[in-house]
Amino acid sequence: MKDKLMPYVLLAPQILLTLLFMIGLVTGITQSLGVIPAFGLKKPTLLYYKEVLSRPDMMRSVLYSLRIALFSSVLATAGGVFFCGVCVMGKKTQGAVMRIIQLPIIVPHVVTALFIINIFSRNGILARAAYALGMIQEQQQFPMLIYDPHGIGIIMAYLWKEIPFIIYFVIALMANINGSLGEAATNLGAKTWTVFWRVTLPLCRNTIISGFLIIFVFALGAYELPLLLGATVPKALPVLAYQEYIHPDLRNRPYAMALNGIIIAISLISSLLYFLMMRKSVKCLTEEQ
Amino acid sequence: MKNKRKSIFISITQFVLLAAILVPAVTLLLWIFTERWTWPDLAPQVFSKRAIFEIAGRKKELLQILWSSILISTVVAVLSAVIGIMTARAILLYRFPGKQVVYFFTILPFMVPATVFAMGIQITFIKMGLNNRITGVIIAHLICSLPYAVRLIMDGTAAVGSRLEEQARVLGASPFKAFYKTSLPMLMPVILSAVSMSYIVSFSQYFLTLMIGGGNVKTFTILMVPYLQSGNRNIACIYSTLFLGVTLLVFGVFEWAAGRFMKHGGGEFYTSE
Amino acid sequence: MGGRPLYETRGRRILYIGMRGQRKRVRETMSLMVEDLKVVLQKKEILHGISLDIREGEFISLLGASGCGKTTLLKSIAGLLEIQQGDIRIQDASVAGIPPEKRGTVIVFQDLRLFPHMTVEQNIAFPMELQKVPKDVRKKTVKKLLEEVQLTGFENRKIKEISGGQMQRVALARALAANPRVLLLDEPFSGLDECLRLEMGNLVKKLHQERKITTILVTHEKREAMQMSDRIALMSEGRILQYDTPRNMFRHPVSKAVAEYFGRVNYVKGRMKNHRFYSSLFEMSSELEDGDYEAMIRPYSVTLEREGAYTITGIAFMGEMAEVKIEVPEGVIVSQVMSHELERLGLEEGDRTGISIEENGVTWFRRGA
Repeated sequence: MKDKLMPYVLLAPQILLTLLFMIGLVTGITQSLGVIPAFGLKKPTLLYYKEVLSRPDMMRSVLYSLRIALFSSVLATAGGVFFCGVCVMGKKTQGAVMRIIQLPIIVPHVVTALFIINIFSRNGILARAAYALGMIQEQQQFPMLIYDPHGIGIIMAYLWKEIPFIIYFVIALMANINGSLGEAATNLGAKTWTVFWRVTLPLCRNTIISGFLIIFVFALGAYELPLLLGATVPKALPVLAYQEYIHPDLRNRPYAMALNGIIIAISLISSLLYFLMMRKSVKCLTEEQ
Repeated sequence: MKNKRKSIFISITQFVLLAAILVPAVTLLLWIFTERWTWPDLAPQVFSKRAIFEIAGRKKELLQILWSSILISTVVAVLSAVIGIMTARAILLYRFPGKQVVYFFTILPFMVPATVFAMGIQITFIKMGLNNRITGVIIAHLICSLPYAVRLIMDGTAAVGSRLEEQARVLGASPFKAFYKTSLPMLMPVILSAVSMSYIVSFSQYFLTLMIGGGNVKTFTILMVPYLQSGNRNIACIYSTLFLGVTLLVFGVFEWAAGRFMKHGGGEFYTSE
Repeated sequence: MGGRPLYETRGRRILYIGMRGQRKRVRETMSLMVEDLKVVLQKKEILHGISLDIREGEFISLLGASGCGKTTLLKSIAGLLEIQQGDIRIQDASVAGIPPEKRGTVIVFQDLRLFPHMTVEQNIAFPMELQKVPKDVRKKTVKKLLEEVQLTGFENRKIKEISGGQMQRVALARALAANPRVLLLDEPFSGLDECLRLEMGNLVKKLHQERKITTILVTHEKREAMQMSDRIALMSEGRILQYDTPRNMFRHPVSKAVAEYFGRVNYVKGRMKNHRFYSSLFEMSSELEDGDYEAMIRPYSVTLEREGAYTITGIAFMGEMAEVKIEVPEGVIVSQVMSHELERLGLEEGDRTGISIEENGVTWFRRGA
């Protein structure tokens, strides 16, 4: 265990892959600054960013994506944590029910889109149920939940997938803390809900925030769901970026990269936050005991 | 009285979530057999097995794509787990300079969407000859799946600690034997989670495979999407059901394999030490 | 004030420095030698130059409060921790650079660390498997060891099914199965009640008598250390205060710290003049030079008399013995007498009594030291 080289040997594959990843990231950034030697673009410039940030349709996409990502992630995190709390306090954290509730994790986003269409479209189950109950008389009266400028269908799809993900992410830790420390707190006279708020939740805070960041960034940069459930306008950020990317005029490439660049900026801030939340988890174990 | 109220509350919440998950599954199955379902009826008017026969006709091509997808994702999953174990051990059991930096870079792919990464790395992959090739797809998937594995296995390694390995060492075991015989069985549950999670992240990838695989590497997900976009509901639902069924099957195989490694049921994972 | 060095190297010879400063040549059949060991953990120096020698088959204890470095020393000997300075030699060969699995130093940890996914038999057989012992020999040895630790028939039990005391015995059996050159026990009886502790202590001692394995016991219990060890190394803050037989530690402590560790002491200040000690409480002849001294007197060396000039301020009944607090001009003196002696004298709280100090019961410490 004391071999000086051992950690580096163990880290070799990770480092190689990280290198590759960074190359991808850095390439994206340099291309967004207009430097693409292969296409004959050599001078770095902020032109593309300026244009992207000034064109109204592009800005609308940015805000659209941001809004959906933020809204769905916050709701999903809150919902997931709440559900975890309920289960943990009721001591029902294992069993068939929990496994089924975590099923959405294995459902790919594209299939989730299908579910949403089946249920929430104007032709879907919900609309038909509303008609049967006499709430609407015509198909047009059912609100447009998908292909709409608000992205409600998209948000619901994310909620369906991400609430179970948050549950999966948080529940083991929460059960552990609630068990040991929760017991101690209850012993000292605290009521169950108080224990949750003042002991369990604060201690899970970092894990919860890191979970939130994961789903937030994912929602921001996802392609499939907006493609299948989104309106024609505004397009989600990655959809727009891809459009520019495959544009026959290769000089449009930097526009795509500039759009990506905006996402990268948000990503980097999120990474920093995530890192700050979780960095205590790398304490060396061998010398502690 | 209060406990009963709480218990009912919990049951209701769980029921609501259960319904939210099972109802879509039911609609999926319904649509497979639906021939005609015009507005505003609550149930389809005409059922038929037409869609199923259509799929059966394409069986050969379908199975081939399915098989190669499973292979790709399994390779990604296993590699993620192995590299995850190595990275987790390096970070948690050793002291070396730059540890925080290394940790930061392991979590970075979490925070950068696959779309951004794909568009950024494509030129490099082309130069390296990895574009449009299965190896390229595997590497790209691996980069995106690895953070999940590292995160899960780090949690597990932290819980298991190095105590048992130390004991095995003083009893005469070499470092590798000590890990293999004591820590590894204890880590099996979390390794299983890591493998499953990495598998599903890879199996569900669309955009990444589209970009890096080009037209050459087709995964099941890529096969599915056009049908989801078009109005062909039956085929889309059949493919979706197939996707989920296959995934559950693969998970079952993983669990069986992990069980064989664990011998005597492994140990308690999150107990206090 | 740390311990003084126990060894001196002159050329190839190693000289042991005895209690009174004499130098003795050390025979080379030392089972374990620790020389001037310095160990640093997380940028803090834990061991500040520890030296220790243990003879073949000897049973020694590392005694001291939590945090004094006992476990660190143990782990360093076993090779689980890196040493910054100094050397560790087992049977006269340095083990620096030799990995833990090859040193023959087996630790029984405080938290036992039985492998939860293996049965009792598999746990005990583990070290033998590593040494490629054939299966039938393993089975026989496991059976024999289980008998020795009074757990006959426990082969197929799962670890989570057995009690705390039983787990300790399995851990012991497993360590013995590894055929260690040096057996290291890190507070192995913590968490056991007094009764079980005694039982386990006897078991360890019995196993030691039979096998004569060089053994180091880490403990914070004085009674245990004194009862079981050939020698005790009293440690404090990363240093060895004194390393000697239990009797010598108690009777001839080298410092106040050592004296006070082993029990209550009384201090009486006075002057030494012309080989006689003068104090307000008593006088005594001594060989020491003139000067200011403090007399250290153990409570059992203070005998009571039926009549006298001092008052008894408290009596604590402790079964066979009783502890008596007596008020003297300088403060309080504590005496320890047999309960029935107290009754015979008819002394109670508030009574007046006299004090006499046993001749051999005093250790003098120079004042200002």
